[in-house]
Amino acid sequence: MGSVALKDIRKSYGAVEVLHGIDLDIADGEFTVLVGPSGCGKSTLLRSIAGLETISGGDIILDDTKINTLQPKERDIAMVFQNYALYPHMTVAKNMGFSLRLSKVDKDEIDRKVRAAAEILDLTPLLDRYPRQLSGGQRQRVAMGRAIVRDPKVFLFDEPLSNLDAKLRVQMRSEIKELHQRLKTTTIYVTHDQIEAMTMADKIVVMRGGHVEQIGSPLELYENPASVFVAGFIGSPSMNFVRASAGADGIEYADGHWLGRPAAAIAPGRAVIAGFRPEDMRLADTGLPARVALVEPTGAETQLVLRTGQDSLVMTTRERVTQKPGDLVHVVVSEGKLHCFDADTERSLAPGAAPA
Amino acid sequence: MRHDRLLAYAMILPVVAAVLAFVVGPTYNVATLSLTKVVMGMERGFGTFDNFRALTADPVFWLVMKNTAIWILGGTVLCVTVGLAVGTFLALDSRLTGWLRALILLPWVIPDVVTAMAWKWMLHGQVGIIGQTLQDTGLTDRPISFLGDPQLVMWTLVVVLIWRKMPLVALILCAAIRSVPDDQLEAARMDGANAWERFRFVTIPNIAFSLTAVTVISMIWITAEFALPWIMTGGGPANASQIMATYIYQQSFEFFNWGVASAMSVINLLMLVSIVALYLYINRRSWASEGSQ
Repeated sequence: MGSVALKDIRKSYGAVEVLHGIDLDIADGEFTVLVGPSGCGKSTLLRSIAGLETISGGDIILDDTKINTLQPKERDIAMVFQNYALYPHMTVAKNMGFSLRLSKVDKDEIDRKVRAAAEILDLTPLLDRYPRQLSGGQRQRVAMGRAIVRDPKVFLFDEPLSNLDAKLRVQMRSEIKELHQRLKTTTIYVTHDQIEAMTMADKIVVMRGGHVEQIGSPLELYENPASVFVAGFIGSPSMNFVRASAGADGIEYADGHWLGRPAAAIAPGRAVIAGFRPEDMRLADTGLPARVALVEPTGAETQLVLRTGQDSLVMTTRERVTQKPGDLVHVVVSEGKLHCFDADTERSLAPGAAPA
Repeated sequence: MRHDRLLAYAMILPVVAAVLAFVVGPTYNVATLSLTKVVMGMERGFGTFDNFRALTADPVFWLVMKNTAIWILGGTVLCVTVGLAVGTFLALDSRLTGWLRALILLPWVIPDVVTAMAWKWMLHGQVGIIGQTLQDTGLTDRPISFLGDPQLVMWTLVVVLIWRKMPLVALILCAAIRSVPDDQLEAARMDGANAWERFRFVTIPNIAFSLTAVTVISMIWITAEFALPWIMTGGGPANASQIMATYIYQQSFEFFNWGVASAMSVINLLMLVSIVALYLYINRRSWASEGSQ
């Protein structure tokens, strides 16, 4: 069992509050990803759960037990660090068995558990090597092995893939995901990479400036972003935003062209921020006029950068594009794919969107 | 090409000449002198172990060896352990340790002679402030002659030596401890290590290189230290604090007994060489060297 509940977590350094009351429920076995830009407090939150930081207020509850003031070792939580943090003077086997050795586990027992973990992670041939003799990906696996050996209630990952090259990152991403599916241990994973968040998470927590911006499954966040921030953060290339206003028959661009119908009725005349994803745009005979600024074929898709009025729009299409830079085109937004946000609060105006 | 080579040789020539003149030359001289019979300052025949025989036959030699062992081994071990303790304390983050890190170097910048004279007075049997304080507080009822008691004098010298040499050791180890990666210490906390276990299993292995280097360096410093014991006791009372350095000085420049002095110097040299060799051997294989197995 390993369900985690965070209730109104606050953390201050002196007079500066960096976490402003975080509430979060994580079910047993769930893979939760904390995602957000640098300085949003995601790592601080993770370190607070680990017990490496003391919180200034709120409760951390692990399986109905309050663990606020417990030492890290008493929490039954294991953590994988960004820089692996392997002990350079110990072999892979010693690194993995260190926690068991500290808790005075029998030598044969340690050996058995280390071998079992090494088997899972394909580390068996490397058990006698030192960390310096390993590649980045292997070190990363040893760091995970060190966590697995303890068989904890919760795994914490602090940006574990940020030191790996792009190819290895994709590979390790699926390894971590597979590992989770195999062990079914509750996992909390911090990253600033929204693709990692989208591909791995059961539940994504988007954070910004010490607040939780939105919690939901990857597709929920993608399809119903609660704010301009979430909409812009999730998805690549990111959503297009334009200033618009509500007309009698839907949302109109600044120059009066019709963009689409909002999900919920909006009082005519109200200023909104309209958002639409690059892949939800189509070229058409009529619609919003724009000039092609850039054509970028990526193989399967083509990415077009368009200019209209003050705005620069990005659209992607799977169709062959014959237009050249400088050509005039018309674009429309697919039915039901237009997102509307309040012009001031930047919160979604869709029905059922979480209030600010 | 040839021109470049000549230039290269020309440029290292001064250093080679200096090393030959000031290191190799005198060493060779002392080594041959130790194998030469010397009578009344006159060299009488090369190729004899008489000097070594005379040296080891003298009971003072064995006393000197014992004192030197206390001086070098006791001094080094205490210097490094006390330095490690102080360095660990200085590595903590606080305003106090920030100031102390600067202040602790004071003993290091005071000249040897001043240190020796000041301590000599403070340790004086009748008028020394240390003995006085011990008496005033009732810890002893009679004056202690720290430098006059043959049982105490060697260890008293070691204490002064520590006071003088430990600060730099502490500072070097403090710097090494502060460079131990935080995430390793945090990983150890997650692994369940308490403060002592983190120090023992993470900090110490991480500073192992500084630790061995500092041990060998202090060993060499202490072996070479002359002014402190010479000024404070001059080897007395009755050779009770005679160590190699003072003994060699006394034999050569007070008794003009160059044969014995040079024999002692050779023993001293062999000792230093073995210390350095040990250091190189320990550092030869290490977990930090890439690809070694």
